[in-house]
Amino acid sequence: MAGIEDLGVGIGWRPEIDLTVERLPGVDFVEVVAENLHIGHLPESVALLLERGVPVLPHAVSLSLGGADEVDLHRVEHLGAVAEAVGAPMVSDHVCFVRAGGLDSGHLMPVPRTRDALDVLVANVKLAQANLPVPLALENVAALLEWPDGELSEGQFLAELVERTDCWLLVDVANLYANARNIGTDPERFLDEIPLERLAYVHVAGGEQHGDIYHDTHAHAVLPEVLEVLDELCSRVSPPGVLLERDDNYPSDAEIEAELAAIRAVVDKHRG
Amino acid sequence: MVTPTTSRATVLSPEEIGFLTAGPGRAAETALARLLDAGVVRVARDGRVSPVHQSGGGVTVVETRMLGRLTKPVQFGQVVQASANSLEMRVLQQGLRERKLIRNPRPRMRLWWIFLVIGSFLGLAALTEPTLLVGTAALFGASWWSFGARPVTRAGRAALEGVTGDDRVLTVALHGFRGRVGGRNVGDLFELPQSVVNTVPRKNRKRTDNDGAGYGSCGSGCGSSSCGSSGCSSGSSSCGGGGCGGGGGGD
Ligand SMILES: [Fe+2]
Repeated sequence: MAGIEDLGVGIGWRPEIDLTVERLPGVDFVEVVAENLHIGHLPESVALLLERGVPVLPHAVSLSLGGADEVDLHRVEHLGAVAEAVGAPMVSDHVCFVRAGGLDSGHLMPVPRTRDALDVLVANVKLAQANLPVPLALENVAALLEWPDGELSEGQFLAELVERTDCWLLVDVANLYANARNIGTDPERFLDEIPLERLAYVHVAGGEQHGDIYHDTHAHAVLPEVLEVLDELCSRVSPPGVLLERDDNYPSDAEIEAELAAIRAVVDKHRG
Repeated sequence: MVTPTTSRATVLSPEEIGFLTAGPGRAAETALARLLDAGVVRVARDGRVSPVHQSGGGVTVVETRMLGRLTKPVQFGQVVQASANSLEMRVLQQGLRERKLIRNPRPRMRLWWIFLVIGSFLGLAALTEPTLLVGTAALFGASWWSFGARPVTRAGRAALEGVTGDDRVLTVALHGFRGRVGGRNVGDLFELPQSVVNTVPRKNRKRTDNDGAGYGSCGSGCGSSSCGSSGCSSGSSSCGGGGCGGGGGGD
């Protein structure tokens, strides 16, 4: 995909830390939550970053492409409009559903890994792609439970999705770690099974262990174990970009800078 | 940051320097500046102040209270205003009063000079009729009383002598976020957008009869004798035009 070969290391832009993002060294690109942006009224900080030539990638959370409900084309159009407003080379959302029967779940719900569910997902992704001005990347989610009667592993499911839709993959290594901890999936097998040549970029995030459950909170420090999954990924492919997601309990600028540096160190280690 | 000691060996905290310089609003700005300087809070471009996660607490009761209010992001100017009106700020004020660095100010009466003029005539008349001296003294006394009193005492002004903006927190104490020092906006020292700095209310130049504890009485602006040639270079007119004359505006 032209234009995103080398995004570098980035961070999720959030209004609460906009000045931090602007002044932090080592922010090569940012991601914005598309639903929070209004066309024609970009936040001053985002406009400033664009002026500086920092790529801004819209990330959506509400397309619900894994759901049985009809795709809401207004949401797709908004995502496309945001992409055009910020001159993004691509957009992304998740392999999940957030609505069913008109009700909003409030969470990114995992899709049953059945062939029927894959057919629905593929149809929805194709419809979205047809209405988007730029390529679409899809992200693996963290799941606290697995739907019964799964026919495919998560890696196989995504590989087939890519094959049938030509979409890109946004691999969240924190979600891989969460799934390994909570439902026993194998991150290495996942990485073996997905088409890494279709990797758009990578998410890294922090979380917290609560009893037996690991919560992908985006409000805590990135665990070394999550960086180990990133390390494993980087041993197989040089990711076009790696982005730190932090959504709450924002730490000091120095701590955020240190997390970005730790991510960069892992990436650079494999680049030689 | 070292607690500054003034030339008269009166130890003042930055908040106290802010208070003596320009009242409770300035003291509140100083507390916020200290929290920003220490990385305990951060400001967003839209002006909302939020606590930095696990970055420690406040050093003073004013700071601690300020932080306690930030359970959700609050606008920069509102943080200052709420702190200026807080009970903790009253405690700070009371401490300064007990150290005789401030006093209850008396507002200057508009016709204070009338007593002086009549007293002077009466004084001349007393040259021939000495019993009028009593009335003369009374009128001079009334003139002195109605002239008003600055909130910062001589001791308070002396304590401020020699205090310089050695660091950016003290610079806020002396000049306010809206101030300018050396051709530079004080807010720039904290990398604050001017739109954020502008949310700090300007001083209300209308004099009031209270003792200046409320923010509105003399917000971040006017105050004491420091409003001289260099004391308030804010460009916000906070010390211009007689706004902090001898009356009761500044405490
Ligand atoms: Fe993610």
